[in-house]
Amino acid sequence: MSSSFENHQKRRLISSYFSVVLSIALVLFLLGLLGLLILNAQKVSDHFKEQVVLTIYLKDTAKEVEINQLEKSLAMADYVKSTEYVSKEQAAEFMKAENGEDFMDFVGYNPLQNSIDVHLKADFVTSEQLEKISEEALSKNFVDSVDYDNDLVTLMNNNVKKISFWVLVISGIFTLIAVLLINSSIRLAVYSKRFTIKTMQMVGATKQFIRRPFVWKSVRLGIIGGILALIGMGIVLYYLNKTFPELQLLSNPAIITMLFVFVFMLGIIITWISTHIATQRFLNLKTDQLYY
Amino acid sequence: MSTPILQLKDASISQGDSLVLSNVNVEVNKGEFVYLIGKTGSGKSSFMKILYGDLTLTEGEGQIVGHNLKGLKDKDIPFLRRKLGIVFQDFKLLTDRTINENLLFVLKATGWKDKNDMNKRVEEVLNKVGMKTKGFKYPHELSGGEQQRVAIARALLNNPELILADEPTGNLDPQTSIEVMEVLQDINKNGNTILMATHDYALLLKYPSKTLKCDNNEVYEVVQRKQ
Repeated sequence: MSSSFENHQKRRLISSYFSVVLSIALVLFLLGLLGLLILNAQKVSDHFKEQVVLTIYLKDTAKEVEINQLEKSLAMADYVKSTEYVSKEQAAEFMKAENGEDFMDFVGYNPLQNSIDVHLKADFVTSEQLEKISEEALSKNFVDSVDYDNDLVTLMNNNVKKISFWVLVISGIFTLIAVLLINSSIRLAVYSKRFTIKTMQMVGATKQFIRRPFVWKSVRLGIIGGILALIGMGIVLYYLNKTFPELQLLSNPAIITMLFVFVFMLGIIITWISTHIATQRFLNLKTDQLYY
Repeated sequence: MSTPILQLKDASISQGDSLVLSNVNVEVNKGEFVYLIGKTGSGKSSFMKILYGDLTLTEGEGQIVGHNLKGLKDKDIPFLRRKLGIVFQDFKLLTDRTINENLLFVLKATGWKDKNDMNKRVEEVLNKVGMKTKGFKYPHELSGGEQQRVAIARALLNNPELILADEPTGNLDPQTSIEVMEVLQDINKNGNTILMATHDYALLLKYPSKTLKCDNNEVYEVVQRKQ
């Protein structure tokens, strides 16, 4: 009979611990993802900024040597990530493929120009820098015009600033929610044992002696929750890296390791402090106050 | 000359803001068996709570097993309780562990280290209350009388100087009450001092002893009439 009671007790305990572990794991997992986002926010914004193209249209009179020289000087400039020469024929092919019809059939000639597509390094994708580069290019007499989407650049820079700010705010709120959720789960678990705690005090156990197993048990739940969160983060990181290799999410293993250690330690620290406070609360109450 | 193990002088006992007992003057000597009687709500439990530090003595003076109740520090309460054995009406056993584990918990909590000594002590106290064979059971597998015997065994673990029993027969039928009373009487005969709160007057008649009464916010000794 006692073994069936024991099994029943164990099942009850496991199910109540399960919800605590799950809430710890979920909260830490989301917090970890947010951490990954913050750590990679720069890379993500750089990635998008570097998609911005500055196109230098060349006059038909431009000589090949001039074009090569310009391309070489651009490639050597510290603000350029990559350049690509697009001949007017290639441009016509792109347009044909895009529109699905050959515009030369009714225009009768190719009105497009030879051009150089310039991808800039993220730090230089600002309206001022683009204007400066554009002016420099225009100073060459074989350059006809320079084109880039200035509105898009302004919008992107403004949005990056806004997003970074809100990600930080959300991270702060999320950390607070994490602490409150884990704290509340643990408080409920300790609350259900308040009469046991009081009985232990009645037989002469010190507060420290009573608190120790509660804290240790919660820390173990925190460790399990932390490990589950890390596994989840690992899986997400693996798939993100596979899907977006250009973001180079795993390029700095030290930072990733630090984030993992931070999330794991946070699980332990929050459970430790929460249990300490929750048990202390009931240890400090007189018996009659337990009923309020 | 008898040694007072418990002494209260002009003590006032309050529960929150309401005064429960005032001007309490009580003395219990070593080896005595003392009843504390009174109607429900007369202040018996509050009186007991003052003695084991669950209420604070704010007025008057109080000494119990060498501890000063006035200004008793929080950190000293566990050490006071180790010198006392407390038995409750609702037994207050730890329901998540067996009887043996309940008793071993008390020993560990009160500083016992040697496993053999602890097991021996558990066996001794269970034997004293006639529960030697029930150590492997969980509290819910025992009857009320048996649970109360275990609670008494728990109170005996550290050879307390004083046993405080707060209505130990309150949840028991008359026959079981007598069995528990017999256990307490035996313990008293072995030299333990017992202060027992009760409103079971039949027990007082069957086992007459020094009696204190809580009534009208006062505690006074009841003079027994010889039959």
